[in-house]
Amino acid sequence: MIERLILFLLFLLGFWGILAKRNVIKKIISLNLINSAVVILFVLEGSRIGDNVPIMEEGISRVVDPVPQALMLTAIVIGVCVTALSLALAFRLYKATGTFHIDEIREKVGK
Amino acid sequence: MLMKRSLILPFFSLFLVAAVTLPVFLDETAWPESSRNYLEAEGVRESGARNLVSAIYLGYRAFDTLGETIVLLVAVTGTIGILKKAGAVLEEQPDFALPGEKRQSNFMRTHLLETVTGKLGPIVLLFGFYVMLYGHLSPGGGFQGGVVVASGIVFLALGNRGDAKSHLVRQDVLGRIEALAFFLLLLVSISGIFTGGGFLDNPLKQYTSMPAAFIVLLNIIIGLKVGAGIGVMCIIMLGKE
Repeated sequence: MIERLILFLLFLLGFWGILAKRNVIKKIISLNLINSAVVILFVLEGSRIGDNVPIMEEGISRVVDPVPQALMLTAIVIGVCVTALSLALAFRLYKATGTFHIDEIREKVGK
Repeated sequence: MLMKRSLILPFFSLFLVAAVTLPVFLDETAWPESSRNYLEAEGVRESGARNLVSAIYLGYRAFDTLGETIVLLVAVTGTIGILKKAGAVLEEQPDFALPGEKRQSNFMRTHLLETVTGKLGPIVLLFGFYVMLYGHLSPGGGFQGGVVVASGIVFLALGNRGDAKSHLVRQDVLGRIEALAFFLLLLVSISGIFTGGGFLDNPLKQYTSMPAAFIVLLNIIIGLKVGAGIGVMCIIMLGKE
């Protein structure tokens, strides 16, 4: 139970960062936090029905569910792609406006 | 009013999201065991990979992997397109350099980078290929090995001297490796058709006693693709040639 609460706090922390932080880089890092929380939650859920790693050596039984792990492998790579692309966009904004602060960017782009 | 006005709306949204997602996080519904039981009994025989995670993402769900490599390709293309117009991230900070260093290609270097990264790079590359090649037997696989290879490429890019550059850190070479790996992936994907199977079917399933060779081949191709893709993204952000 405690690990689920910690994951929930991690998720909320990421969401709070996206909502309240004014720095674009901090928003992107918060996006990563949400991604990590969801990934760990899935792996945790899959690990509830077994004890061993899903590598079928001799005499291994009761492995954890490998399906969420394979799914999260995909999610991690997609997360890296999203992060890289959004960092590139943030850098483009910085080059155009000279700041990472979202309000100043809005001021300069909006006029 | 105690708190700043701009924080009221975020707090409200945070409360709403917490109310919606808390049941998801604390859900104690029993996890279904049927897929685990089936994979435990049949996974090794059907795919040949002892690592069941590899068996899923390169055997049962290889379509997902194909789509994911396309997403990676799109991300790399977008990053290249955006950063080529905006310029490299680090190229305007020549004050971060060894004392007395005048060569433009050698800024952004310290003694630590000088001694560690260039020597560690090949070892990290070797480890990446090990993770890639043994992905069907042990923890690892194409994606994990590819990311390790990408960090080895970044080490090489940070550590090599201006006059002894590895070709592996050049953007055009890495871009070609990625494109070639994607082409090979498509070729391997349709190879199952010629033996009477479907798209992404394992063509070796009924002909040899080692169907894992297909998984190994896919792992190598995906590892090359992920390594070259993430490596080229990092190198473009570094602003190296």
